[in-house]
Amino acid sequence: MRAARVAALAAALATMPTAALAHPPPLGIPGFFGGLLHPAFVPAHLLAICAVGLWIGQQMPAWGRAAPATFILALLAGLGVIALGRVPPFASEALLLVAMAVGLLVAWARSLPESAGCVFAALTGLAVGFDSPPEVVSLREANLMLLGTGFGGSLLMVATVEAGSRLARLWHGVAVRVLGSWIAAIAVLVFAVQLTR
Amino acid sequence: MLRLVLGVGLAALIASPALAHTGDLAGGFASGFLHPLFGPDHVAAMVAVGLWGAFLGPPAIYSLPVVFPLVMALGGALGILGVPLPGVEAGVAASAIALGLMVALGARPQLWIAAVLVGLFAIFHGHAHGAELPAGADAAAYSAGFVIATGLLHIAGIAFGLLARWRAGRLAVRAAGGAIMLAGVVFLSRAV
Repeated sequence: MRAARVAALAAALATMPTAALAHPPPLGIPGFFGGLLHPAFVPAHLLAICAVGLWIGQQMPAWGRAAPATFILALLAGLGVIALGRVPPFASEALLLVAMAVGLLVAWARSLPESAGCVFAALTGLAVGFDSPPEVVSLREANLMLLGTGFGGSLLMVATVEAGSRLARLWHGVAVRVLGSWIAAIAVLVFAVQLTR
Repeated sequence: MLRLVLGVGLAALIASPALAHTGDLAGGFASGFLHPLFGPDHVAAMVAVGLWGAFLGPPAIYSLPVVFPLVMALGGALGILGVPLPGVEAGVAASAIALGLMVALGARPQLWIAAVLVGLFAIFHGHAHGAELPAGADAAAYSAGFVIATGLLHIAGIAFGLLARWRAGRLAVRAAGGAIMLAGVVFLSRAV
């Protein structure tokens, strides 16, 4: 009788899905390189980093390098929190909200103080870190993936800042503004889908 | 019985996890990208937005294609969330009539009036795309696909609309607006 209860309990546990918190390694690539690709394969991360990167690039040369540096430091801090075993909630939602707001700012194309860029860069860096708990079994693998995510996120930010500053010089900055509106639009739609699931 | 317990326990270990991201990335993007392109009513209205923007010149030439996707996304969110919007198909058809008419007449209203008109119709287009998001599709890829396809249709309209710099080209652009308006009448007759 006792064994039957244990069997029933085990069967019940078997049917329970695991929580949808962590992301699987992108393309099934584990370790450092999986982490490196991670920010480019999670839509909320990609949208927020591209929005903030384009915005910083658009504001160059009036803005210095403080905002991208803030992003990198905040990203490392966020990943550090994950490495300590804490997973703060709502990071993905925060990233989509940042993508919406900053996408609109890019489309608006007005000069703003650099401190505003630092605030959004810090929010994005922290949230990308918080939303990157590795879905792997070993601690070593997890740490390698976190390290890769730190590098990947930083590289993506630097690349989009550079692309934004170059695109902002083309066609009176129209291309960047259109990209900003597209990013904000996609973020609104993905956020709506997240609300329904 | 012990074997049974062990068997069930092993089954528990190999249970598939609920991953955070589901759906086929490439399929989702292709589905979203093709959605506006395979709807002639969407194509006509999107091209008309570009034509009108080009006809009006700066700043409308870039403001209208920036306003449209932003407001369209709000309509899309309503569709995804299941908020009903009456007369979506009729609204999409009416957008082809109204925007085609503006181009055909060579109307030059103030920028904010043009933006409000374009934004109003964008809600119907967005709702239609959002409500038809296929179950299981990668939501981000689908959204990116239909936003980018919409933007490319605007660019196609702008490219053709740039002919308005020349006298003969202006006639061709206005004629295209007239053709879009007539197509809109056909779409509306089918929708109601």
